[in-house]
Amino acid sequence: MYDVVSVAVKMEFSSLVVIREFVVILSFVLISLYIINRYKSSPHSAPKGISRLFLMIVLSLLFIGIAIIFQPPEFYSRDAMNFYRSAVFMIFSTLITLILAVLALYIMLTLRDLVFFKRKKTTRRYYLAYLVFVFAACAGELSFIHLEDMFIPHIFYAGAICLIVMNSFKQNWIVYLSKREKVYSIVYSILLFISLIMLDVFLASGLGSNNAIVSYSKPLHSFIWLNAIFGTIYFGVAFISTLFHLPTAEVFEKKQSELNSLHNLSRLVTQVFDFNDLVNTVTQMTMEVCDARSVWLELFSFDDKTGEMSVEVVSKKNITHEEIELYGKSDSTQLRRYILDSPKVLLIEDIWFDRRTKSLKEKGVARGSLLSIPLLSHGKLIGVLHATKEFQNSFDQEDIDVMKTFADHVSIAIENSRLIARSIERERYHQEMMVAQKMQKRLLPQQLPVISAVEFAAISESSLEVGGDYYDVINLSDESVGIVIGDVSGKGVSAAFYMAEVKGIVLSLSKICRTPRELLLRANDTLLSSLEKNAFISAVYAVLDISKATLTMARAGHCPVLYISDETSELIKSSGIGLGLTNGSQFEQATEERIIKLKRGDICIFYTDGITEAHNENMEEFGYERLVKIARECRDCSAEAMKDEILNSVKAFIGQETYSDDVTLVVVKWLGNSN
Amino acid sequence: MTDFKIHHRDGEGVSIIELKGYLDAHTAPDLETAFQKLIDEKKYNVVVNCRDLSYISSAGLGVFMAYVEDIRKNMGDIKLTNMSAKVYNVFDLLGFPLLYEIFKDEQEAVLRFGERKK
Repeated sequence: MYDVVSVAVKMEFSSLVVIREFVVILSFVLISLYIINRYKSSPHSAPKGISRLFLMIVLSLLFIGIAIIFQPPEFYSRDAMNFYRSAVFMIFSTLITLILAVLALYIMLTLRDLVFFKRKKTTRRYYLAYLVFVFAACAGELSFIHLEDMFIPHIFYAGAICLIVMNSFKQNWIVYLSKREKVYSIVYSILLFISLIMLDVFLASGLGSNNAIVSYSKPLHSFIWLNAIFGTIYFGVAFISTLFHLPTAEVFEKKQSELNSLHNLSRLVTQVFDFNDLVNTVTQMTMEVCDARSVWLELFSFDDKTGEMSVEVVSKKNITHEEIELYGKSDSTQLRRYILDSPKVLLIEDIWFDRRTKSLKEKGVARGSLLSIPLLSHGKLIGVLHATKEFQNSFDQEDIDVMKTFADHVSIAIENSRLIARSIERERYHQEMMVAQKMQKRLLPQQLPVISAVEFAAISESSLEVGGDYYDVINLSDESVGIVIGDVSGKGVSAAFYMAEVKGIVLSLSKICRTPRELLLRANDTLLSSLEKNAFISAVYAVLDISKATLTMARAGHCPVLYISDETSELIKSSGIGLGLTNGSQFEQATEERIIKLKRGDICIFYTDGITEAHNENMEEFGYERLVKIARECRDCSAEAMKDEILNSVKAFIGQETYSDDVTLVVVKWLGNSN
Repeated sequence: MTDFKIHHRDGEGVSIIELKGYLDAHTAPDLETAFQKLIDEKKYNVVVNCRDLSYISSAGLGVFMAYVEDIRKNMGDIKLTNMSAKVYNVFDLLGFPLLYEIFKDEQEAVLRFGERKK
């Protein structure tokens, strides 16, 4: 310490002052950087920042007050040399400057947060300009610059004050305060305004404690003073503008809560599975947003057959079921009737005196007003959202609008949940149909018999998941094979059931009937009793006798079998009636049998009308001629190749992958010798 | 495919149904309704004119089977007329000519009902 003083004395005094000023400024900058860093990490909402600032100012003022009371008289000199005269002055001036400089820094930071709230591009520019002018003004105060008598520092000060005023109008933070916070903010702003004026007055005064700051560091004094002025003006403006915002605070708050609740609702609507959650939220929010006495939400469902309506109260707040029934069903009021008759917003300003609800008075329902909003889905009434308030005429347009929005959300959620239920149902149905399809595929032969003298090829494709076409190739004995093809009238599930029945009947009869005709007669008898009136089955049954090389067939209303030999092509249309169309005797009379003597290379093609009636987009049918022509051209092919050729031709003809009817094809090629 | 129309008119003691377009599983219910209406009105003498019928599927044929029993029980009948070759072929394959009287001309069918009355 002695060394420093002795060195200082030896040095030229002015250079010592310059070094001291630099050290002071540098140490303050370091302290500032530390505080700014700390400040960033603390969470700061506007009201919290203000109250903290207020506390700091009060403490600082207390300190100043105490200092003023106890300050010794030598403080009253503004000479910079004061600093070196007494140790008390040295310590005191360091302390008060440091305290107020830190306070000024806090004022600056707090105001920065407030000014920057919801900032625009220009906000930052104005604030930075303010800082530039403040620092310029402070720099102008450095003793070695010697600007005291010049005009320039005044420009800096004037500029800083102008920018203070401009920045003071950035008061966006007030708008977003709740009403309660606004009241707090009014109190704090006025308190801050007053305390900062006291600080301003102190800084402008010739009080000894103020002199201590000036003589410690003029730039810091300017820094403190400018920030104190900024605070004064800013909180003055804040006080007035909060005062003006106060009357609209409630409306703003209501809008805010509407927005919040709508946001929550939108989120809930997408969670269809939480339907109860949604309706409870809706009633709860209606309660809060509309400030209602009671709220309830009822949904209507209509019986498909009788058209009878049932009402379910899915959510209610602050009301009993009994009271809801009084509102809804009471014979004399029939409030529900009004809404059902015309699904519009129903507003009853005074429950006791409105003609639609006045009987409720005698029933002990409290006076007030009622608002009922219909829930509509595809223009159909699906429910009603009701709310009551304690006083007459108390629902306003805002309430109606917000409740309408809530009602819409519920409608959408209901619609969503119905759609999901429907798609689950559809998916289940689809799964069942897939099972049915798999089972039906297993009713068709998995493998065709392998016999040296005959080639078999077969395919059956349904236009829907399941169909009514049926074919089978049955090993009757070593010497004979039964071939059957059938087509149940209609399509889809009913046809599929009959197809299964036909398979059972044919399989069992094939073992006991000696001729195709006999089999069809007995199948007709069996089917006649079990088929619906409008259902019938066309079929061809043929027995291939391998040793005799004959094909004996009988036709029950089915497409004629196409017989292709080297010489001829013939559609074998023996007489016959479809199964299930008529009684035994007429059927027996009509049905005749044909026997074909087979020669090597002869082909018999069994098919359903899905082939011949397959049509292209011009509604042209594939027809018999095309079938005969293709089969004729391909008569040297294997049975398998013939089947593919016909099927591909049909597909090419209709020009699409899906058939409009079930398609079945059985190709039999005789490779044995003729007898 | 779904283009199907039924025109119904009454002759002397005979109801005439004219079919037009495609009679398949989708349009069969329309014809069912028409037959049901005739039965409800106790009009059992029915001539079905198929002049403009371009296609009939097995479901369409089923409709005749569903109502013919009721109609015949009441001493009436369904007679079919004016079929195109293509439509006739479908009827013929299934053996319908053995079950129904099919005429070339509507007038013949109407006359036939008259004959039976005498």
